[in-house]
Amino acid sequence: MRKASRLSLYSALWLASAIFSLPLLLMLSGSLKTTEQLARNPYRLWPENIRWENYPVALESMPLLRYLGNTLILCTGCVIGTTLSCALIAYGLSRVRWGGRKYLFALVVGSMLLPWHVTMIPRFVLISELGLYNSFWAIIGPTFLGDAFFIFLLRQFFLTLPEELFEAGRLDGLSHLGLFWKILIPLSKPAIATVALFQFVQTWNDFSGPLLYLNDPQKFPLAYGLERFVSSYGDQTHLLLAASVLFTLPIVVLFFLAQRTFIDGISTTGIKN
Amino acid sequence: MSQSTTNLKQSEKVDRFAGLMFCSPWIVGFVFLFAWPFAASFYWSLCRFDLINPPEFIGLENYRRLTSELQSQKGFGLALTNTLYYSLISVSLSVVTGVLLATLLSAKVKGQAIYRTLVFLPSVIPIVAASVLWIWLLDPESGMINYLLSWIGIPSQNWLNQSRSALSPAGFTEFSQWLQGGALNLFGSKDALILMTMWGVGNFVVIYLAAISDIPGQLYEAAEIDGANVIRKFYHVTLPMLSPVIFFNLIMGLIRSVQTFASVYVLSEGTGEPGGSLMLISMQLFLSAFADFEMGYTSAMAWVLFVLLLAATTLLFRTSKHWVHYRTSS
Repeated sequence: MRKASRLSLYSALWLASAIFSLPLLLMLSGSLKTTEQLARNPYRLWPENIRWENYPVALESMPLLRYLGNTLILCTGCVIGTTLSCALIAYGLSRVRWGGRKYLFALVVGSMLLPWHVTMIPRFVLISELGLYNSFWAIIGPTFLGDAFFIFLLRQFFLTLPEELFEAGRLDGLSHLGLFWKILIPLSKPAIATVALFQFVQTWNDFSGPLLYLNDPQKFPLAYGLERFVSSYGDQTHLLLAASVLFTLPIVVLFFLAQRTFIDGISTTGIKN
Repeated sequence: MSQSTTNLKQSEKVDRFAGLMFCSPWIVGFVFLFAWPFAASFYWSLCRFDLINPPEFIGLENYRRLTSELQSQKGFGLALTNTLYYSLISVSLSVVTGVLLATLLSAKVKGQAIYRTLVFLPSVIPIVAASVLWIWLLDPESGMINYLLSWIGIPSQNWLNQSRSALSPAGFTEFSQWLQGGALNLFGSKDALILMTMWGVGNFVVIYLAAISDIPGQLYEAAEIDGANVIRKFYHVTLPMLSPVIFFNLIMGLIRSVQTFASVYVLSEGTGEPGGSLMLISMQLFLSAFADFEMGYTSAMAWVLFVLLLAATTLLFRTSKHWVHYRTSS
């Protein structure tokens, strides 16, 4: 390639990377400044004197640890619910030969097209009638009934497993439940881990679920709890930024640990359709 | 013989029972979380219902109210216009920037993985954290965005405190007056929302990147032999080969943008303000259900939205055969 085009390529790459990462760098540096520094020189990336104290102060002034505990309860419950239910359902839709499965699968796919607006009120009524309003079960419970997207993902994976293994299992006298636990699950650990990861991130970030179903501040998870402080802490940007960094950090760490999974998960959904 | 047929029938029965049992969580979920809510919300859309008293059938009253609000550009009408503005601009921008960024990031250079990661990272940031960050970045006095705009000579913008939008008749008037020496009050809250959405475009970039890496290299080689330059190769090879994915992302982007809620809620602190400019459909639905307790009216709104979304998707599918090129092989 010619030198000039090489140069313009690199400058475009640098510019794009700078634009996308600048807000994150500012978030980090802003969380380490004083209010006074933020007002005087908000754009300086490296603070004159780094204020680590912002973090303990943020932890003291907002009940972040309680929120974190609630978030972790929700995440654990939802991950267990989703992986268990979606694996069972996807097995029934892929490795059990029965007449109803293709209609049921069509319903799974079709349900993805229904916007949440239409089902929002009846679901709320149902959850309230069951006495689950203001309980973690309002959010965890539905994950035990499967999620269309994850069922779809797992089914596609289960279909790629060789039939001979299941045949051999059947000859050994394994029932469907036996085939599921002894053959399918050990072979599908990566796919199930992907689903668990996605569900974890989804629940960690979820804002509308807690907004709809929780009203006791003692039960708020991070995503919702943090929002409650936005209006009252408007003049304490450094603390809000510190809390946001704490809230974001686990997701960023997870992303770097499982980068391939994140990216494959997103790109396969784009290609497969 | 008869022994084996009964065995076969027996195993068929076992399989059907097992299939039903394995799928039973979803059957229950489908009935209670989709089928019943679907039917109930349609019935309630024909009722007056406040969650406390039983629903009272009022026929098409709620739909009449929606139509009149559509004409007066209040309530539902305003929300629909807002959503249309946000969806049209953010979806088309995300296709254009998504494809361009993916083309750029597919260049074989040293450090490719780092550039990709930096562009993708913002899209994994939780919406609430991203919103907190952007409220600060868009602050009229101390925000980074206004500072960057000042470099290219654009005066301080009000962003989240302003209801006007840049790409509107009022915005054009403002812009032409500025060129003649007036003040400039161009970018408003929806533009702020679009800006923040674009920061998370990495999700789409990743999908385009995967599709670009699937384009056979011979196509580019053949184009080079025909003397095509970078731009012609992009136009005649990359774009047509990406068209199925662009189509998919258009549909997904449309559905996603219409459902945008958390960011709007945080940016407007749950109000849809200023001047109702952040009252997108999802915000309007949430407030009319859980602040005004008008469940019937809200259900009617949800149904109209659902039908509109269905119509838009169908329309996109109809046009797709004119511009989407599916590979015949494979």
